[in-house]
Amino acid sequence: MSKPVIEIKNLEKVYEGAVPVHAVNGINLTITEGEFTALKGPSGCGKTTLLNLLGGLDQPTSGTIEIGGVDITTLSENELIDFRLRNIGFVFQAYNLIPVLSAKENVSFIMLLQDRPKEEREARAQQLLEAVGLKGKEGQRPVQLSGGQQQRVAVARALASKPQFVLADEPTANLDSTSTANLLDIMEKLNKKERMTFVFATHDDRVIKKARRIISIEDGKVLSDE
Amino acid sequence: MLKLAWRNIWRNKVRSTITIAAVMFCVIFAVVLRSFQVGVWEHMVDDIVANNFGYLQVHQKGFWEEQSLDLSMDQATLPSDQWREVDGVRSVVRRLESFSLVSMDQNNRGSLVLGIEPQHELPGLQLTDQIVSGNVFEPGSDQVVVSEGLAEFLKVVVGDSLLFLSQGYRGASAYGQFVVSGIAKISNPELNKQLVLMPLQTAQWMYNGMGLLTTAVIDLEPGVDHKEVKEALQPMMGEELELLEWEELFPELIQTIEADMAGGQIFITILYFIISFVLLGTVIMMVSEREREFGILVSIGMRKSKLAFVTVLENLILTLGGAIVGMTLVKPVQFYFKYNPIDLSGQMKEAIEQFDFEPKLYTTTSYIINLNHGAIVFIIGVLISSYAVWKIMKLEPVKSMRS
Ligand SMILES: Nc1ncnc2c1ncn2[C@@H]1O[C@H](COP(=O)(O)OP(=O)(O)O)[C@@H](O)[C@H]1O
Ligand SMILES: [Mg+2]
Repeated sequence: MSKPVIEIKNLEKVYEGAVPVHAVNGINLTITEGEFTALKGPSGCGKTTLLNLLGGLDQPTSGTIEIGGVDITTLSENELIDFRLRNIGFVFQAYNLIPVLSAKENVSFIMLLQDRPKEEREARAQQLLEAVGLKGKEGQRPVQLSGGQQQRVAVARALASKPQFVLADEPTANLDSTSTANLLDIMEKLNKKERMTFVFATHDDRVIKKARRIISIEDGKVLSDE
Repeated sequence: MLKLAWRNIWRNKVRSTITIAAVMFCVIFAVVLRSFQVGVWEHMVDDIVANNFGYLQVHQKGFWEEQSLDLSMDQATLPSDQWREVDGVRSVVRRLESFSLVSMDQNNRGSLVLGIEPQHELPGLQLTDQIVSGNVFEPGSDQVVVSEGLAEFLKVVVGDSLLFLSQGYRGASAYGQFVVSGIAKISNPELNKQLVLMPLQTAQWMYNGMGLLTTAVIDLEPGVDHKEVKEALQPMMGEELELLEWEELFPELIQTIEADMAGGQIFITILYFIISFVLLGTVIMMVSEREREFGILVSIGMRKSKLAFVTVLENLILTLGGAIVGMTLVKPVQFYFKYNPIDLSGQMKEAIEQFDFEPKLYTTTSYIINLNHGAIVFIIGVLISSYAVWKIMKLEPVKSMRS
């Protein structure tokens, strides 16, 4: 039996405004170790908001989010930043990378933030870049890489910090189908080989097909979970 | 981390160039402005003090205040040999100075009459290079040398006779008629309009004060600190004499300099305002350009303080670089114009001469000015980069990444 990584209870997020928006409207969810899960739903249904809450990038209006037994809604700003550094990997939609650093430096930078020794940073960055199929591109700057290659560097970076899980918000939105398939294969392989938990938000059928668990969201609520 | 800051400098070359160039030109401009201002005064003080009046003067107590011949010293009993023994003293120059009405035909003017011994005088009054027509007077003769400006005003030429009328020692009336042996160009424009030079004995005779001096100028070895010499000489002055340094002799000069410096400060302040806005512009440009990147860095786990540090570091390298380059590049300019002053001409020249300035712009080569302005601009750079710190500290990763 796999242990739970994320447990969220009665999660709500309301964007105040002339018309308040219930972007997340009472979600209960448990993500366990080793999952390869897609949050699906039409644009505007609340996927990004939910993912940002899970990643500790945004504060919920009410409810709790426990990650490895820690309720992250109670952490201070700096505690939360340090928590993200140690526990969560992020892949955003696009332009994830630091433009002035090479592919390899982008991957090792996060380990530098973790104060890992130089030899370990070098070795792990190299190993991860090879795992995402970018051997020979280590010294290239992001602008010299294609969109798909950039996203693969981002995946390598997300894994570099040895997080508990990786959150990816529409990681394939800007990619053609070859690159999409490629990226998905890599994520799937890492999921199996490193037992890394992946949660991604998407409305891309090619991604949804690959997922082993699909959570459909509509109007900030879970519609189905299979 | 240093690497990240360094790489970021090369990333937007336009921004970095603007920052460095703005800082550089600001430093250069401020230093040049200041150097000319300080340099003109330095030159003027040097001329008045080193060439004409000396850094230190000894009088009978109260003479400088009252300018009365009754407060004179007896040259026979003056312990000038003892003063000469003091370290840094080159010689003691004897003078009798007083005011007199000087006239030629219908023209007359109140003048400063100096009885001097040219061969022992300060460089400005040795009358070797200064004579523009005629010759130096013979010692003890009834000849005088008139300054160029005064000669023009009185319309005298070499060989003319001048009539002097004044009050002498202890109320005696003093008058005399002397022949102009030469006309001298005195570098200080103020003096050039009113100075008459005559042999020391002739002056003593005219003022009915044989053997009397009003002034003993302490001539110093080059490069000696006059304050130190003053301290050493002070105990030898006794009850009767006063020892004054140039700052006490010409307090108005100090005031004028300070007022002028304050005036120049306004320009420089405006300059600093402009540079502040230019730098702020580049920092705003940088922050908005990198907003998404800042959001990603904070999202993946970089502390804001660390991010702010790297960003400020980048700006500090740029401003420090600009300041150092500016401070260095301006140095040759300062040296050049110190020894090759700008000669003003035309209207400007007349206007400036009216205010008794020499119509030449000198610079100073003092390093203090460069360091001061380099440091000020650098500090402005530091303060301006606090804008980036503020933006980073209040950054919300979710919002900054949506943009
Ligand atoms: N900062 C915000 N302020 C107000 N409303 C927001 C904000 N962010 C998202 N929303 C709204 O919340 C809802 C969910 O948005 P989002 O989570 O981005 O959906 P998705 O990622 O599924 O497209 C949408 O109606 C959106 O307009
Ligand atoms: Mg979204």
